[in-house]
Amino acid sequence: MEDFKKAILEHAEGSKKTKFYFKDLEKAVKKTYPDAKSRMIKKAATELVNEGTLIYYSTGSSTMYGLKGRGITEDH
Amino acid sequence: MAFEPKNEQKELKYEELRIYTDEELNNYTEEELKNFKFKHDVPDLDDLEKGPWPSFVSDAKQEALHRHKLADDRLMTAKDSVDDLMGALQLSFDDGETHWKHGGIVGVFGYGGGVIGRYSDVPEKFPGVTHFHTMRVNQTSSKFYDTDFLRSLADLWEYRGSGILNMHGSTGDIVFLGTTTDQLEPIFYDLTHELGVDLGGSGSNLRTPSCCVGKARCEYACIDTQDLCYEMTQFYQDELHRPMFPYKFKFKFDGCPNGCVASIARSDMSFIGTWRDDIRIDQEAVKAYIAGESAPNAGAHGGRDWGKFDIQKEVIDLCPTNCMCYEDGELKIDNSECTRCMHCINVMPKALRPGKDTGVTILCGAKAPILEGAQMATMIVPFMKAEAPYDNIKELIEKVWDWWMEEGKNRERLGELIQRFSLPRFLDIMELPPAPQMVKEPRSNPYIFWKEEDVKGGWNRDINDYRSRHKR
Repeated sequence: MEDFKKAILEHAEGSKKTKFYFKDLEKAVKKTYPDAKSRMIKKAATELVNEGTLIYYSTGSSTMYGLKGRGITEDH
Repeated sequence: MAFEPKNEQKELKYEELRIYTDEELNNYTEEELKNFKFKHDVPDLDDLEKGPWPSFVSDAKQEALHRHKLADDRLMTAKDSVDDLMGALQLSFDDGETHWKHGGIVGVFGYGGGVIGRYSDVPEKFPGVTHFHTMRVNQTSSKFYDTDFLRSLADLWEYRGSGILNMHGSTGDIVFLGTTTDQLEPIFYDLTHELGVDLGGSGSNLRTPSCCVGKARCEYACIDTQDLCYEMTQFYQDELHRPMFPYKFKFKFDGCPNGCVASIARSDMSFIGTWRDDIRIDQEAVKAYIAGESAPNAGAHGGRDWGKFDIQKEVIDLCPTNCMCYEDGELKIDNSECTRCMHCINVMPKALRPGKDTGVTILCGAKAPILEGAQMATMIVPFMKAEAPYDNIKELIEKVWDWWMEEGKNRERLGELIQRFSLPRFLDIMELPPAPQMVKEPRSNPYIFWKEEDVKGGWNRDINDYRSRHKR
């Protein structure tokens, strides 16, 4: 789990984008851990949200993840 | 069968939860309402009140007046939010474009759905709707509430929101329309701790499952839709609140093929109650319909005289598969040809009932138009038993999800993915054999193909050998 969290953060911090679809995070983890299961990656992303490192960004119809403090961080 | 709650039930008492007094709730007169005007000029909205149907504008006026007359400290959000909402709508009519910005990071802690951020792009004109976030509240199965719950909910929303809500949104949730960011957590706390309800799904989550009235009120129900809906809602809480799907995903549960929640058109995975044995016939009751002793359609459409009931014209000739006849004073049905259209059962409910060996038909892929066009669901499993704890159904659901999460592009619905891959491949991946029931009508659904391994000799043949037996 900690490895997945690290991979997610490395991808998020190294990217120019500020918001990520879950699939982006999934791909980033699977690059290092090809056998990683989607549900476990989701659990890792959820933990990062609960810890306050990642945030959910919702448009209402689809949801993305963002790094707290980057891009839109407060109400627009 | 009496209702037996699975979990301990907390009885809600409005008297304990109420925020407003009776005087506050009834704080204006009919005369005041008649003379009430929103603080903005809204000529197009005034027009909407002139039509034959009740208008939301009339409701909004009542709510706006009610809020105006409440004391300042009795509302946690802007007093004139309803006025500003109507003003913003008029401006959109004038400009022919929206003045809302959607989305953002608003939400309650740990939840990736249930709150949809909404902001006005003209806040200086309409400060009451600068923040006007939507919250989705997970409705109860079949939307059965008591007044203690509804009044408590309305008080909460009046106090911490705009007071305007939808009963219900198209997915089924109770939709709270318009609050500010600072009110989200207190509302969430009260909903979950006091009222015993949760937020619903939004974004790339499992959306709030919904079902018809099922066995609680309907004799046609072939499955316990309420139980199935509740079980799926509870079992898939993680999917409902924490996004991991490529896009939205909806479940809906219809108790019979009448489809009162229209799951076939409105859900990515549609569950429709059905039976696989024979329609139960009470021949004496059939005769009573023919003799005019029982009202057809249970008395519906009884507002005018349609003449004597004619079983041939009104039932048998309307059977889409011509599988019925009335001979020698007896109604006969060739059940192997029945497509479960429900027409005969609907017309003669005292005489005909669904069979006893019941379960669900499962269909996949319905969606509204964004890419391509609107799509109805396609039948995937003709029949599956649906009994608690529904492990067989969960197994199929998770197989579909695993494939969709693996192969689906961002913002691609299940129906679009099936279309992109083709139905035969979807069936292969689901390990489901093509079935005759999947064919909508002969030769119109050419998605069942032979595979090389299914054909004797494969794709290769000796043409000379063939020609020795078949002249050109």
